[in-house]
Amino acid sequence: MRFFSQSFIYDDSWSIVALAFFLRYPNPYASHVISCDVISRDHTPSGSLVTTRLILKKGAMPRWFPKGIVSRAESWVIEESEVDPYGKTLRCVTKNLDHVKVMQVEESVNFAQNAEGKTLQHTEARIFSRFGWGLTKRIENHGLTRFKANMQRSREGVSLILNLIRESRLQPMTLGAEVSHAVSPACEEKVSIGENLQGKSLWAKVKTWMYRPPPSQ
Amino acid sequence: MSQSLSAECTPLKIEYDSCFNSWFEGYLDPAVKASKTPEARAAYAKQKADEFNQKCGKIWEQYKGCVQHAVKEKGLDTLLQQAREENPLVDPIPPLPTQPPK
Repeated sequence: MRFFSQSFIYDDSWSIVALAFFLRYPNPYASHVISCDVISRDHTPSGSLVTTRLILKKGAMPRWFPKGIVSRAESWVIEESEVDPYGKTLRCVTKNLDHVKVMQVEESVNFAQNAEGKTLQHTEARIFSRFGWGLTKRIENHGLTRFKANMQRSREGVSLILNLIRESRLQPMTLGAEVSHAVSPACEEKVSIGENLQGKSLWAKVKTWMYRPPPSQ
Repeated sequence: MSQSLSAECTPLKIEYDSCFNSWFEGYLDPAVKASKTPEARAAYAKQKADEFNQKCGKIWEQYKGCVQHAVKEKGLDTLLQQAREENPLVDPIPPLPTQPPK
């Protein structure tokens, strides 16, 4: 078994990071996500939201892995999360459902608000293989290397969504400025912008940004 | 958002996600007074849950029904059941405290 843990601090408040975490698919850094479904979602009496998602991810087998054992390089992943907006915590546990004998990856992520109003992310992962044939250790090491690389990409994905949320919160006028009111008196224009934003949630605004083509690297 | 595991559920998923995300944004920032007492919190939580059911309840039932059917069709239900029995991921939710912690 290989164990990995890492902490990271986002400058943003917990509610924004939690929103970005839930909105993270799709993003240009997560092209390996084929499908993502909510299969259950419950409001607890204490006010938390408990969600189970079923995600299909594309993977690739390392070149040295014996052929013919894993017929398709896709994996079903179950993700269970609990959001507590009062205590400002988000817990999320994911693990793969198939190919578990080859390799099982269990990841646990926690987001909590710290005293400075920033958000602390703590990630733990357990990677174990029951494959045998003298490959167990090699598979686990490979899994760990991949996990670290994927974590970096995942954080870039969340950061990208965070940027979109920040931009749409700070510059609502830019997003609503497609219609020009150049000839209208200033006060009237102000009112019409206010009306445009009313009833249009942040999500609706972010959505239009998310469907744009990814910025060229 | 991304695709559903079944193409026929994707339009329902998109509509549901959109509804949920709008609600979720407000849910994440509860009123300060809601956190003051367990009673206030429970009342606020119920109000939020009712708001969700009113806004997104219908599309959620449709989408959930579609996905549950697709999960069965693909034989994923046994896989899910197995995973949950072997190792429950989320601890049972602790009940609401009846009195403030000392």
